[in-house]
Amino acid sequence: MIRVEQLIARRGDFRLGPIDLDLCSSSYLTILGPSGSGKTLFLETCMGLIAPEGGRVWHGGQDVTRIAPEQRHISYLPQDLALFPHLTVRNNILFGAKRRQLNEADVNSRLTNLLDLLELHAIIDRKDVSTLSGGEKQRVALARALLPEPRLLFLDEPFSALDATIKRQLQVKLREINRQLDVTILHVTHDQEEAFMLGEQIAVMIDGRLRQVGPRDEIYYRPASLDVARFLRNQNIFDLTVEEVLPNGSLQLGDSLCLKSPGYAEAQEGHRLTVGIRSEEVVIIRPNKPIGPELQDNLFHATVSDILVFGGTHTLCAKLDSSNITVDVELPNCAMRDLGYTVGDALQLCLRKRSLWTIPLIEHAALKGAHDDQL
Amino acid sequence: MLQRDTVFRITMLLPLVILTGYFLLLVFSQSAYFNAADFIRQLSQPDIVSAITLSLIAATASSGVAIALAIPSAYALARIDFPGKRLIDTFIDLPMVLTPIALGTLILMSWNTEFGRMLAGFGLTLPFTMTGVIVAQFTVVVAISVRMLKATFEQVNPRQEQVARLLGCSAFGSFFYVTLPLARHGILAAIILTWARAIGEFGATVMVAGTAKGQTATLPSSIYLAMSMADLPRTVTLVVVLIGISLLVLFGVRAVLERRR
Repeated sequence: MIRVEQLIARRGDFRLGPIDLDLCSSSYLTILGPSGSGKTLFLETCMGLIAPEGGRVWHGGQDVTRIAPEQRHISYLPQDLALFPHLTVRNNILFGAKRRQLNEADVNSRLTNLLDLLELHAIIDRKDVSTLSGGEKQRVALARALLPEPRLLFLDEPFSALDATIKRQLQVKLREINRQLDVTILHVTHDQEEAFMLGEQIAVMIDGRLRQVGPRDEIYYRPASLDVARFLRNQNIFDLTVEEVLPNGSLQLGDSLCLKSPGYAEAQEGHRLTVGIRSEEVVIIRPNKPIGPELQDNLFHATVSDILVFGGTHTLCAKLDSSNITVDVELPNCAMRDLGYTVGDALQLCLRKRSLWTIPLIEHAALKGAHDDQL
Repeated sequence: MLQRDTVFRITMLLPLVILTGYFLLLVFSQSAYFNAADFIRQLSQPDIVSAITLSLIAATASSGVAIALAIPSAYALARIDFPGKRLIDTFIDLPMVLTPIALGTLILMSWNTEFGRMLAGFGLTLPFTMTGVIVAQFTVVVAISVRMLKATFEQVNPRQEQVARLLGCSAFGSFFYVTLPLARHGILAAIILTWARAIGEFGATVMVAGTAKGQTATLPSSIYLAMSMADLPRTVTLVVVLIGISLLVLFGVRAVLERRR
């Protein structure tokens, strides 16, 4: 549907890319990255609002790199929505259809569908768009973007100014739109929860480069670089050495921590690597309960050194008895209530082997080198 | 605390009261010389009618041309990046800082160049002609129009133009369907203020087109002529007409700006 090849763009001193990306028809891709990572610049370059310094953009097999924005059949929902204050709600929604001179009967039928889908019947006859609430403005802007039947819908942090309840309703609506209207969506956000809830595929952008692109579970559980791991709030990260490559391919690691981890191609004794595990993947072993075969390795005795409360979850900071390392363990409130831990309590943890991710340090060096080149 | 607030308010309000009083003094000081019968009689004098008509026509023409050129120029300065933009942006302000007499001199000298002679060959003669009045007024007011319109276009959210492009508008379409409607109040205010500045223009007009009665004498130059001949009834009549026009314009601008809010 859309393919980006070696795309490079610049705004002031900031350089984006080179970026390669493939997006299939009807898919939903979220580009996740911190503020200032180049997400909006990437969208603007793909939409033709900014001329790239290099690379190409293809839509449906056609090279559109030098084609005007209005000929790309992309609709755009920017962060500030950019509703037209000089037009009524109806004329805002109909703006694209009028400019493209679409068939009136088709437009009317599609308008009716969109009014149903986005629950806009009550406000369609409002004269002044400034009287709409935040959520209503969002739905009007979405209807305006969808009415001309775009091939692609680009969303740039569209929900960042909304309260949590309305945001959730609109996120659910977006999933419906993606399925019902068969529109391909490229959604840029810095909100990790939103990115994982909506994107079938996720691309992580840091410092103007796509650091990892893949299905949401892969991004979540198997970060490809330390930058990605840190951005995705992986708290438990350790630098270790391969002590032995075991016959089954897994690795015996040592240094500040002795761990068994999944192997990787070309693993050799003496290799340095970074190992991590998400705090919600750390298992607390209950005393006097049998331990399953999956939890036989990587068992540690620890002491609770702190407890952090985050609304629906608690994070136990557990200092391992065998080293100076502290492991974060995330527990839902109900589990925390059952276990009843307080600071100073002893517990046993398992850093489950299959939940560990590993990044050979050689890959860090390669990534860092690429980043330095870029600068 | 309350006492300090009161002192603060008085400190701010007192200069305002003094200024208002001063302007009222300027306006009503004429009342001693104003006579309704004289005023009506003067208004029927052909040279006064001619001065009013000439001023209205010249100000409308010069501000019209100025706005027509200022809209695209201001948009270019507000939105388009090009080499030498900062230099041009500063250079275009020149007529605002130069005294109108100096500007008039520059206009006359420029008509003495090859380019000026070529324009004169097409019938564009400046001394003692309506064209001279219009060119002088245009030169003085065009920079003001550009400056005001640039500020107006900068206030239009560029995202709205971008969204319009993606919804199917060409660059011209986005300008006409989105930018101009969104900038309409600012454009209207610029038109009114440009026109007001043009109708009050004196220095460059006198320098370029002279003050020939019935030909190039505008309201301001007629006031100067009447006052220099100590013809007070005529001076007061012309001043009252100019004040009337100026007040109409100022209230017009205020009405436009309040609608904008």
